[in-house]
Amino acid sequence: MRRSMEDAAMNMTPMIDVVFQLIIFFVTTADMQSKALDTKLKLAMAPHAVAEEKKDPREVLVDVGPDGRISIARTYMSPAVLRSILKKAVAESGQTLPVVIRGDARAKHEDIKGVMDACAAAGLWKVKFAALKERG
Amino acid sequence: MPPADLPMTPMIDVVFQLLIYFLVTIHPKDVVANLDVFRPSPDARQEQTTTPPKMIRVTVFAEGFTINDRPVDAPELDKLLSKLASIDRNQTILIMCTASSHHEDLVRVLDLCAKSRLVNLSVVSTN
Repeated sequence: MRRSMEDAAMNMTPMIDVVFQLIIFFVTTADMQSKALDTKLKLAMAPHAVAEEKKDPREVLVDVGPDGRISIARTYMSPAVLRSILKKAVAESGQTLPVVIRGDARAKHEDIKGVMDACAAAGLWKVKFAALKERG
Repeated sequence: MPPADLPMTPMIDVVFQLLIYFLVTIHPKDVVANLDVFRPSPDARQEQTTTPPKMIRVTVFAEGFTINDRPVDAPELDKLLSKLASIDRNQTILIMCTASSHHEDLVRVLDLCAKSRLVNLSVVSTN
């Protein structure tokens, strides 16, 4: 009799420990994809633009820093390298490949032009510029 | 029943610590918008230097904007673009950027176009 009573009262402590571990894991990994972006980039404000809804998984995000340096996922590259990457990407997924240029507000148009020219060389005539609709 | 009464105090302590940690570290996500533009091919650009008079040309300089060679400031540009959009939303707006202009100003023009719901936007670079 005494033994069965002991079995019935479950020890909750390990379960709570594990649940906490899981919560911490999911909270810290939920926002991983934004880590791939350049966080020092200050996007220009565009309060009237339409907020992006669905993301295309093929989307290529090209960052242009305030000093004009081009990078994809924090990997810096020259416009010539960018061009060959875009060409390869277009060969794989076609001319509808969405390219988003995340240009810093302080970047010169000259450097943005370098990215747009690389897109044009890869046969991409439609590009998007990322802007901040609302500061979080 | 000794195993049933779990000590709650340490758990509440830990939960509060976690709560404080996440409140302090998590900051709300920025809302990002995408502005779609067309990039005419280089030969198309040469055609456009003999500008058809109907096309609206907005030029972005490092110091300001001009619309069809008339210097304007941002509020005036906004007014003109909304007036143009009320006539025809599908007309092409040619946005010319000088090399030394800031990207911020191009985005501002694109934002004003988005505000007036103009959709045919072409961005070209000039010297």
